[in-house]
Amino acid sequence: MNPSFLHPPADATGKRYWRSLEETADTPEFREWLEREFPEGASELEMDGMSRRNFLRVMSASLALAGIGLSGCRRPEAHLVPYTKTPEWLVPGRNLRYATFMPRRRGGMPLHVTTYNGRPTKIEGNPLHPCSGGATDTFAQASVLELYDPERSRAYVKNGAASSEAAFFAEIERLRADWAADRGRTLAFLVDGTDSPTRERLRRLLQAKYPEAVWCVEEPLSPGHDVAACEIAYGPGLIPAFQFDKAAVVLSLDCDFLGNEDEGGLAAVRAFTGGRKVEKPGDKMNRLYAVESRYTLTGGMADHRLRMPANQIGAVASALVREISGFASGGKPPVESGASPAWIREAARDLWDHRRRALVVAGLLQPPVVHVLAAMLNEVLGNTGNTVKFIRRERAPAPGLAQLAARIREGKVGTLFILGGNPAYNAPADLGWEKLQGSVKTVIRWGLHEDETSARSAWHVPAAHYLEAWGDGLARDGSLLCAQPMILPLWGGLSEIELLARIAGLPRPEGPEAVRTTFRERAGKGSDAFAFDQAWERFVHDGFLGESAAAFVARRADLRRCADFVAAHPMPAAGEGIELVFAPDASADDGRCLNNAWLQEVPDPVTKLTWENAALVSPATARALGLSSRNVKGVLNSDVVRIALGGRFVEAPVLVAPGHANHSITLPLGYGRWKVGKVGEGSGFNAWALRDGTAGFALGARVERTGRVAKLAVTQEHGAMEGRALVREAPLKIFEEDPECVDKMTDEAHMPPLRSAYEHPKMDAPHQWAMSIDLNRCTGCNACVIACQSENNIPIVGKDQVAKGREMHWIRLDRYYAGSEDDPALLAQPVTCMQCENAPCETVCPVNATVHSEEGLNVMAYNRCVGTRYCSNNCPYKVRRFNFFDYNRRQLDSLYLGPLGSKGVAETVKMQKNPNVTVRMRGVMEKCTFCVQRLEEAKIDQKVKAGASPDVLVPTDSVKTACQQVCPAQAIVFGNQADPKSEVARVKKFPHDYGMLAYLNVRPRVTYLAKLRNPNPRMPGADQVGMSSLAEAHGHGPSASPAAGPPQAPHPAEAGRRP
Amino acid sequence: MMSNDTPLTMPDAAAEMVRRRPLVLHGRGYRWITEHISGITERRAPKWWWFATVSSGLLALLAAAMFTYLVATGVGVWGLNQPVSWAWDITNFVFWIGIGHAGTLISAILFLTRQKWRTSINRSAEAMTLFAVMCAGLFPAFHVGRVWMVWFLAPVPTPMGVWQNFRSPLLWDVFAVSTYFTVSIIFWYTGLVPDLATLRDRAKTRLRKMFFGIFALGWRGSNRQWRHYEKAYLVLAGISTPLVLSVHSVVSFDFAVSILPSWHTTIFPPYFVAGAIFGGFAMVLTLLLPARAIFGLHDLITPKHIDNMCKIILLTGSIVGYAYTMEFFIAWYSGNPFERFAFYNRATGPYQWAFLGMISCNVLAPQFFWFKRCRRNLWVIYGVVMCVNAGMWFERFVIIVGGLHRDFLPSSWGYFKPTWVDVCTFAGTIGFFVFLFLIFIRFLPMITMFEVKAILPEANPHHGHGPGGREDRR
Repeated sequence: MNPSFLHPPADATGKRYWRSLEETADTPEFREWLEREFPEGASELEMDGMSRRNFLRVMSASLALAGIGLSGCRRPEAHLVPYTKTPEWLVPGRNLRYATFMPRRRGGMPLHVTTYNGRPTKIEGNPLHPCSGGATDTFAQASVLELYDPERSRAYVKNGAASSEAAFFAEIERLRADWAADRGRTLAFLVDGTDSPTRERLRRLLQAKYPEAVWCVEEPLSPGHDVAACEIAYGPGLIPAFQFDKAAVVLSLDCDFLGNEDEGGLAAVRAFTGGRKVEKPGDKMNRLYAVESRYTLTGGMADHRLRMPANQIGAVASALVREISGFASGGKPPVESGASPAWIREAARDLWDHRRRALVVAGLLQPPVVHVLAAMLNEVLGNTGNTVKFIRRERAPAPGLAQLAARIREGKVGTLFILGGNPAYNAPADLGWEKLQGSVKTVIRWGLHEDETSARSAWHVPAAHYLEAWGDGLARDGSLLCAQPMILPLWGGLSEIELLARIAGLPRPEGPEAVRTTFRERAGKGSDAFAFDQAWERFVHDGFLGESAAAFVARRADLRRCADFVAAHPMPAAGEGIELVFAPDASADDGRCLNNAWLQEVPDPVTKLTWENAALVSPATARALGLSSRNVKGVLNSDVVRIALGGRFVEAPVLVAPGHANHSITLPLGYGRWKVGKVGEGSGFNAWALRDGTAGFALGARVERTGRVAKLAVTQEHGAMEGRALVREAPLKIFEEDPECVDKMTDEAHMPPLRSAYEHPKMDAPHQWAMSIDLNRCTGCNACVIACQSENNIPIVGKDQVAKGREMHWIRLDRYYAGSEDDPALLAQPVTCMQCENAPCETVCPVNATVHSEEGLNVMAYNRCVGTRYCSNNCPYKVRRFNFFDYNRRQLDSLYLGPLGSKGVAETVKMQKNPNVTVRMRGVMEKCTFCVQRLEEAKIDQKVKAGASPDVLVPTDSVKTACQQVCPAQAIVFGNQADPKSEVARVKKFPHDYGMLAYLNVRPRVTYLAKLRNPNPRMPGADQVGMSSLAEAHGHGPSASPAAGPPQAPHPAEAGRRP
Repeated sequence: MMSNDTPLTMPDAAAEMVRRRPLVLHGRGYRWITEHISGITERRAPKWWWFATVSSGLLALLAAAMFTYLVATGVGVWGLNQPVSWAWDITNFVFWIGIGHAGTLISAILFLTRQKWRTSINRSAEAMTLFAVMCAGLFPAFHVGRVWMVWFLAPVPTPMGVWQNFRSPLLWDVFAVSTYFTVSIIFWYTGLVPDLATLRDRAKTRLRKMFFGIFALGWRGSNRQWRHYEKAYLVLAGISTPLVLSVHSVVSFDFAVSILPSWHTTIFPPYFVAGAIFGGFAMVLTLLLPARAIFGLHDLITPKHIDNMCKIILLTGSIVGYAYTMEFFIAWYSGNPFERFAFYNRATGPYQWAFLGMISCNVLAPQFFWFKRCRRNLWVIYGVVMCVNAGMWFERFVIIVGGLHRDFLPSSWGYFKPTWVDVCTFAGTIGFFVFLFLIFIRFLPMITMFEVKAILPEANPHHGHGPGGREDRR
């Protein structure tokens, strides 16, 4: 029997998710059954005078309700019903993992999704695919919450009123007659920048049917500057594939490839951080130069960071081109740029010395000319073909939003389909999109949420989430990916493919039919049906088509054309007024993630700001403009400014950001939406409102104080390490001279040897779990924080509670600044429960609610905890989290109303919870336990496998914690340290392994590998790089207060050097 | 109950110098004492009493409302956070438990050391102790996240088979405080029995007869009963004495046993005990000075009593001041940067105001008591003891919140701000305390009549011969 992939026919009120066939029948008996714990009559068993007849009736009713009777029935069609016919591989309570992918603007992210009884609960990267390697980023991790967002659109809406699917498709039928009449002249589509072969096939189908229809692609955060430059430098149809693993020296021109810019994807993060893996003295380590305006994670990892207003970065690139061309040709041309000549000269020399093993990347915010300059640098340095390779990506040339707008203005668009994106919110401000969209007769909007664009559309069609739909796509390396549904659409949404098929007049595709048809075109040619079926099954199973990655194409840059282009696009002079940089935000993306509570609560990796955005300014610029954001008694009071540009303005709170370029303001995008769910409502300001066209930055802004003060919720109030050896950092050279230098940092080195007066319980269980975190590889990207949240059912608490210091994350990223306030170094440190062998929290708990396991875990018995919070007080790492309210049960806006407040946490949000982890109630302390549920599962599996044999040890390095699994930099190593073959046992023997606050004799099971920097000794200020711990150790380093650094000249010309 | 045996042969001038001041002035006799003290409980309650009792009762109800809100909603209604997981709750606990020290000290230790001046003040001081401990007990009970699970702290066998963690100072606290409360209440009640019998004998209404009849336990004042009484009281005093020292030592272990910089110090036990006595005597004076004025007890609570208490305050205040200084010295001397920072932060950090409040109230204010004139001026005394009351609260706040808000990792540093619930809860327990004390002075003899009588010259078996005898009083 062929399975049908549809729900049983829905009733008129639209589809609901359901629990059993009885519910869909919705009989009064079922309703009563829902209300009562026991079915009707069950309680009569308790009564006296129970007759035999009654008893039989009750029993037969119970049997019927238990589903025994139903399994005998056969129905003409088979639906996806829960377990009247259980799939043979499904064991209730055990999870199943399916491969799929998340569509992303620069290539799909291959995933494995964990589901429990049909509920997806956790996203993992697909370890088989090189684009993931098992890792994901924050957005992928949080997308499972988006699936269950109770505020997703549930119904077809026509002009603001609820309508139905039937009415919608009736309307499509009518419209189709119009399009057929005018060959689609008035028809237009606006889609997002994801790649899907099936969508492309359907587009061709539509285009064949309605040849004059226009198909526009818009991706506001990926404006295509890089693509344009690539075409100029290398010719059309190519995208560069940067080989970070082959690069010894990397220069980033405002490119946050380690952060949220998604330049190379996770493969780039893994490849780059792989080049920073130092195990012993003598190991090679790559070197990173970063030129950027705002502090990004890439800048934080850099060995030499030059802060520059974004508009001056082109000048730096151009100076480097001239300098390096000088090396290439033997001459020595003069250099003019905002940067110090020495910086340019030495960076250029270093790149030149590492030619063919260097790599220059430019950021998406930078105009095409900077990308062209980067291509020239790569060419001159001989990187092309070595560290820069290309893959072919044929894409039909598609107009963008601007061209569509022009068409609308000319009145040529009668029907506009907006599939994805949210142009009414984030279209370039100069387009006046909202008005334009209003002038189109019929706008049909397909989306996950009813948002700003839906509000101005005639129709809103609910979208199926990517976890609910079949689909296909291309990974960044060009390989073909398959998406399969983990769950039927919760609210009956349509997938993009289904919608396009229906628009094209095809019947709604049955399940994977449309994707399978596309796949047949690619993989089915010349093979018989059986072989094709096998290939298809494997495609679905693996989530991608093996060996389908695009081959590298050899290509050299056309230097002449590049030079002509550069000549035609002069660099902006160091301009008047203040520069605005429109930067993507790590929590909101382009605005689409604003209703995702996990992402809103996770602090920004650099500023540690939660729940909103703020205008970032350098300390010097803030002083010059008379602005401040000051931490007053635990609250960050920040001046609200009015930022005007070209007749438009926004009002934004200011956040003084150490290390930011002077005369520049960064405006994170994606906030300040006006039609969004409860989570995103009223958060931040809308920076898109100032952005014209696709520019990443603009000059000539005016900033005025409004006199108002806003309160911001940041999770870290204090940025200096106060001379404590928390994050330990050393330059590679010193590490090589003295591998033990890490143990000699700060006063802790002078502590007498640790001795204990007590006997400690022996830890002699066969498994001894331990973790090592490589600070040299960790970029600080937050993926682990959300992975942990998703795995361990960690609640969100809301802005108000975060401001009070009650966030619940079990793993956090501490961010320290070292050095001067104007140009500090940035150090990120993941901090989780250290699972101290000699845990101070355990001794003080009066009720034994937190105890030590024989395997070295510091475990919590939530049911035993009474909530004295003493353990938290005595925890030197402050990693314990207390449920001050019933965060899992109450609405965040009525926490203080107690029992009077509404209870409602949406049923769907509960569906996300990991059934193997207790959902904690209020008054209970919680903390990281190394994902003990995974450890236990692995141990049980191994015991089952072992049977009577003594082979009960979990295979070496086979079990991973959530944070370890997700880490794209592979900075976290976890395993059984009693197993000498394990990676963690090996890593802990490295000379730069250290325990934070080890002098307390708490014996942390989590240790760190010190951060190493690899400065170029000839660079200006190189002697300060990586010295923050060493300098402080000897008492003459930068002092406690970041303000104590040397004053910095305010003009960008002098900016950027390390002191 | 022998009076001092000064040699009879001493010259007059020398005898004059060493002569003790009488403890009861104006030759008040047995009858006056009985009438005066019993009369307070027997006459109609004055208007101010009604006013004060009702208003403090209402304030106590506020505490009840706050605790109800807390239990119904969550500990988050207080201003606690990460890293400050204890703040006003434990501050108030230690504050009240500290106040609860003077009573037993006066009753037990001064009894064993034969300090006769204690007799006028011990009853009310003991009552104050009980009420303060009752207030104190509320906080640890209610500060936990799941109040309904607090019984986990009691060592009762359960099917779970989980026992308490006897390494936890919080558990020691539970035992220390409950033992102290139990012993204190028995001690207090035992001391009440002869006076309850007096009230019973004077009772005119049926209700009073019933009440005092039951609680006087059939006291007849026979020689045999007195002998039993004296033994029992002596034994209880012996049991109480180590408790005076142990309870606050154990409370200080909550901090001293932890690893937090500025908490982890060996000086805490003696320093906490001294502080408790210091604060306890201040509270005794706070309550007795108005009572003395209102009920005309000047002859029983004489300037000598007040002077003695002022001296004790001066002594313990100086011990406390020494401890503050020594903490700073040791922090510097230890060379531990975390410890050094904790004290640097205490003096200069965001809670500097609390530190300055603590120093000025606890160390500077008692210095007035070096001067006899200040120890005689009730207004000065009252000002100083109010300072000490506030200062002792500040001290606990400085230790608890000041220690927690900036500990090892600067990334986790935070700031604590109390909420209105914090404030109302504390105010409510003050109301509860005052309410209980007002009930006490209305219904029970606030001065131990029989013990005061015992120090009168009439009680002196030497019948007027020797110092302290009848001639001396003239």
